[in-house]
Formats: sequence, structure tokens, C-alpha cells
Amino acid sequence: MSAVARHRRQRQKFWGGFGYHAFGIGAALFFFAPFAWTGLASLRTGSEAQQPPLPPWPTQGVSFDTYAVLDTFGAGIWQHTLNSALVALATVVLTVIVSLLAGYGFSRYRFPLKNVFFVLIIATLMIPFQSILTPLFIILAKLGLNNSLVGLVLVYVTLQLPFSVFMMRNAFDAVPREIEEAARIDGARDLKLLVRVLLPLVMPGVATVAIFAFLNSWNEFLAALILLSDNDKYTLPVLMTAVRAGRLGAINWGAVQAGVMVMTIPCLAVFLILQRYYMRGLMAGAVK
Amino acid sequence: MTEGMRLRQVRKSFGPLEVIHGVDLVVGEGEFVVFVGPSGCGKSTLLRMIAGLEEVTDGDIEIGGKDVTDLDPSQRGIAMVFQSYALYPHMSVRENLGFGLSMANVPKAEIAAQVDAAAKILKIEPLLDRRPGQLSGGQRQRVAIGRAIVRKPQVFLFDEPLSNLDAELRVSMRIEIARLHRELGNTMVYVTHDQTEAMTLADKIVVLRDGVIEQVGTPREVYEHPANTFVAGFIGSPRMNLLDATVQGTGKVMVAGDEIEVPSIDTPNGENVTVGLRPEHLVLSLAAPGTLQATVDFCEYLGGTRYVYCQLADGQNLIAEQREGEDLAVNKVVYFAWKPSELRLFNPHGIKLV
Ligand SMILES: Nc1ncnc2c1ncn2[C@@H]1O[C@H](COP(=O)(O)OP(=O)(O)OP(=O)(O)O)[C@@H](O)[C@H]1O
Ligand SMILES: [Mg+2]
Repeated sequence: MSAVARHRRQRQKFWGGFGYHAFGIGAALFFFAPFAWTGLASLRTGSEAQQPPLPPWPTQGVSFDTYAVLDTFGAGIWQHTLNSALVALATVVLTVIVSLLAGYGFSRYRFPLKNVFFVLIIATLMIPFQSILTPLFIILAKLGLNNSLVGLVLVYVTLQLPFSVFMMRNAFDAVPREIEEAARIDGARDLKLLVRVLLPLVMPGVATVAIFAFLNSWNEFLAALILLSDNDKYTLPVLMTAVRAGRLGAINWGAVQAGVMVMTIPCLAVFLILQRYYMRGLMAGAVK
Repeated sequence: MTEGMRLRQVRKSFGPLEVIHGVDLVVGEGEFVVFVGPSGCGKSTLLRMIAGLEEVTDGDIEIGGKDVTDLDPSQRGIAMVFQSYALYPHMSVRENLGFGLSMANVPKAEIAAQVDAAAKILKIEPLLDRRPGQLSGGQRQRVAIGRAIVRKPQVFLFDEPLSNLDAELRVSMRIEIARLHRELGNTMVYVTHDQTEAMTLADKIVVLRDGVIEQVGTPREVYEHPANTFVAGFIGSPRMNLLDATVQGTGKVMVAGDEIEVPSIDTPNGENVTVGLRPEHLVLSLAAPGTLQATVDFCEYLGGTRYVYCQLADGQNLIAEQREGEDLAVNKVVYFAWKPSELRLFNPHGIKLV
């Protein structure tokens, strides 16, 4: 009797697990399909690239022609990728540093008008940044930073900070005060305290801030288009409009697909690298 | 006895609100001091000021004869064990224990030796490579104590270290802490709500109320000779019976219509005083008129003992502890007697009379 029951329970468990995994695989495929489509399409030969998009995979052999074509736009794909990478990395590093310190300050120190400042910072999220592009442009011009990647980084960091400071303050608020006090008794102060004890505990917050800063600066188009006037300083999104516009009225769809791949892969890489810091339960065992 | 720690007129204000009102305290080296008091009386605040986690508004703190009032927490020769353990969750137990030493740039080999020694004292060697998240509450508490030991402090500070543990574990950790104090011989300051912890661990109990020390003494002094009605009512469970009384000539007071004998005091006739009687000192009898008369409200049977809740003729409540005898019916009239030496008397301001 009990053997039969056990058998039935095992069968239920198997089918339960089967359904669970089947759904997971289905969902994963659903999200993976566009990447696969673009990736495969970018590998078609030059002549095939101009043909109707079905089937999406290469039928006349794999080639990297489209990437070669992509390289003929602007100052070469490496130059523009480097521009984008520099801007994105600098934005990430600056945003993380500033929001880490600001979040710590807002979370732990008492100072006059603290909440007013905090609300003011958050309130800037309500201003559409397109509306301040003109003043930003003028300010950068006055600073001699127009048409420079440094200027663009500063703009991106500024736009990224309200959300990031908010994130980091919440992250620090979640760290029990006693841990910090224990560390102070153990002799950790200032930067050592922040780096050795607190940073690992707010890592999920830092990862979130970094991912958002990277994605937003890597993909940002409008500010880059307006603030950069030199062809060889363009970041990838600006370059892509040139590719998309094509030459002499003819659009090279293969080059567009290749460009999309070049833009997507770093985003995927950053996300995959940082997502492990989302680990839950990092705080488990600290208190209580 | 050399001096372990001294507080001199220590005060603390949070903004305009003063919560510690000038505390003076001398603690001998190696003494185990326990702070007790009702919630919000400032025990934690006082402890945190000793630790250097809370700024001292006024007054001085000395540890081992050295003024540490303005020193950094790590420079004071103290270690603290928090109620919430406050372990570093991203470090292994070994790293947790060694963190303080590594901050002080102690060589690696020496850190390892000290960590192993502390782990041995607390019997947590098998846990050294785990993370705090993989430990039980009791084990975490041991690690937290271990982290304090490794610092080799002059003074250990404990803020309700056992209150997150279940009753059984609490008893065994209490015994462990007593053993630790015996073995290490450091000065220890311990905050607790738990009467048993206070009575069993302390060399010296400090009773606080609203940021003021009400009494300092050995557990026996505090229990047997409370300085005032607050201490009398706070120490002991169930609490001491404090009965309103009126002086009737020398050596006599009236309680609820019954005349009882007290040590002779020079308090004028008709003055209100308070009579203190511990529940376990009351001897209950069914027929002995002439002593304090009461009616039974209800009884609590606890196995080894029984608490009898009674009411006096004027409505005052009285609790008596009874170790034997049969159950008492509700509303039964009973009489209480006691040894004269066990009666305590407090003046109208609640201060102990001889
Ligand atoms: N940071 C603070 N700001 C303002 N008031 C505070 C602060 N910390 C403590 N207090 C006040 O100081 C008083 C003493 O607090 P404390 O934490 O020392 O009490 P306690 O005796 O440890 O109580 P418990 O037994 O509940 O832990 C309380 O009235 C509390 O409200
Ligand atoms: Mg407290």
C-alpha cells in the first residue's frame, strides 16, 4: 500500500518537475530567440544579406562580410566601440563611487536639511532630461567640454545619480548598525570600514547601480547625438543611425544586424558578470 | 583591588533630552558588573558610551586608570558582544575572529594562533570555516564572544547577549560566560533584563532607573537590603510585597487594620511608611489571628512551589510563596507571619529605614 503511494508520489514529483523545467526552457527560448535571430542573420554573406529575412540563418555558408561592411562606416567600428566602452566604463565607475559615498552619508550621518536634500535629489527624476539638454549643452560649452567624451560622461553620471543615490541609501539602510559598530570596535575606520566591511554587504546595490549605469550610458542616443559633433567621437548608438541611414539610399541590413550584435554582446556580458552579486541571503547570519 | 573602570559624573543628552543624569561608578579590576533596570532606563546607552560608540556629553570615563573619554572605540581596550551578534556575514568564522587583529596589522601567524586559542576556549573549532549564515543562534553567539576574546580586552561589554536564545540555551550560555569570566579574569560589564542572569553572574549589580543609579551592591546586598522601594520592587521575582502602612507609636505600624511590629524608628505618629516583605518569607497559616490577615484571590501551582495571590482588608495585594501545604480555596481567610529580621521598612520617600 505504502509502496504504491510512494510510487504515485514519485510520479507526481517527476511530472511536477517536468512541467516546471519545460516552462522555464520555453520562457528562456522565447527571450533568447531575438538574439539568436540577429546573431545568425549577421553571419549571412553580403549578397544574401540583401535578401528577404526568412529563413534568418545563413544558407550560403557562414561569413563575416557584414562585420567588414560595418567597419567601413564612420571611423571604423573599433574606434566607436572604444568610445562607447570608455564612456560607459567611466560612467559606471564615477556613478558607483559617488553614489556609494552619498548613499552612505545619507544613510548614516545626521546633518541639517538631510531629508530636504534627499527629496531634492530624488525629485530631479521627475524632470525629463530632454528638457535640460539645451542648458546642459551651454554649460558644457562654457566649460570647454562640448564635443568631448569627458563632457558626455559627466552628463551621464549626473543623469544616473538620483536613482543610484536612492539605491545606495536603501542598500546601506539595510545594513544593521551593529555590524558597523562591531567593525569600529575592531579598529576599522573610514575607507577601510567602507571597503572591507560595508562594500561586500551593499554589493547587490552596487551591482544594480553599475548595471543601470552601464546600460543607460551604453545605449544613450540623444545626448550623445547633440553633444558630440566630431564624427570619430561618436558612440555606437550614433554610429548606428548612420549605418541605418545607409549609403545612397540603399540600406545594408547585414551591417545593421552586425551593429546590433556589437552593441548587444557587451550588455549581456556585463549583466551576466554582475548578476551573481544579486545573491540573496548575503546578510543571513549577521544579526538575529 | 586595582581599578578596572571608573565613570565620573557621566551624562548623555540626545538633543535637548538628557537620558543619563550624572552617573558615578567604580568597577574593580576583574569584577563582573551587571546593569539592570527597566526598559529605556539607559543601560545600553551607558554601555555604548563606555564602548565609545556614543559620545559622552559630559563627564569622564577611565579604563585601567587611563582617561578614554575621547578615544576611538578600538583604542579603549574594550570588546563588545551585541545582542544581535553583529557578525560580518561575508566572512568565515575564522575571518570574523581575526578581523580586529588584521585591522591592527598583527602578523598572520599570530592571528591564526590567537584565533585557534579563542576557538578552543569556546569549542567552535569545527565551525571555523563556515559563514555566520550557516550557524545556529547559539553558535553565532559563541563566535561573537570569540571575536571579543581575540581582542584581549581589558573590559568586556555585553549588551543582553543571551536574549535571542531559547531558554535552555540561555542557561548553558550563562554558565559558559561565568566560566569564561573565571578563566580570563577580565573586567566584564553586562546588561540584562534577566533577573537570574543578574543574580548568578554578578559580583556587583548596578540598578538603574531613568538614567540614574538607584543602588550598587552585591547580589545579596541588593536583594536583602534594597536601598529604596524601586530596587525592592525591581529585584526579585515575584517582586517584594510593598505595603502601605501608618506609624502607630515606636515599633508599631498599621497595615490594613492589622498592627504589626517593626524595628523602632523615629518617624512621627501617623506618618505613612512602606513595609517590604518578600513572598518567600511569608509563612502562611489558617488560624493565627493577630498577624496580617488576608483573603485568597487565586493560586499558581509551579511544581516545586506555589504562589498565593491574596488581598488585604483594604484592597492591597500580597503575594506569598508556599512550598508545601494543601491547595487553598478562593476567598479563604489566611494569616501571615514572618521573622522580624526579614521585614524591610521604607520612609515616605521610599528610602530604606534602618
Ligand atoms: N539615538 C537616540 N536618540 C534619541 N534618544 C535615544 C537614542 N538612543 C536611546 N535614546 C533614549 O535613551 C533612553 C535610554 O535608552 P537605552 O537604549 O539606553 O535603554 P535601555 O535601558 O538599554 O533599554 P532596553 O532595556 O529596552 O534595551 C531611552 O529613553 C531612549 O529613548
Ligand atoms: Mg538596551
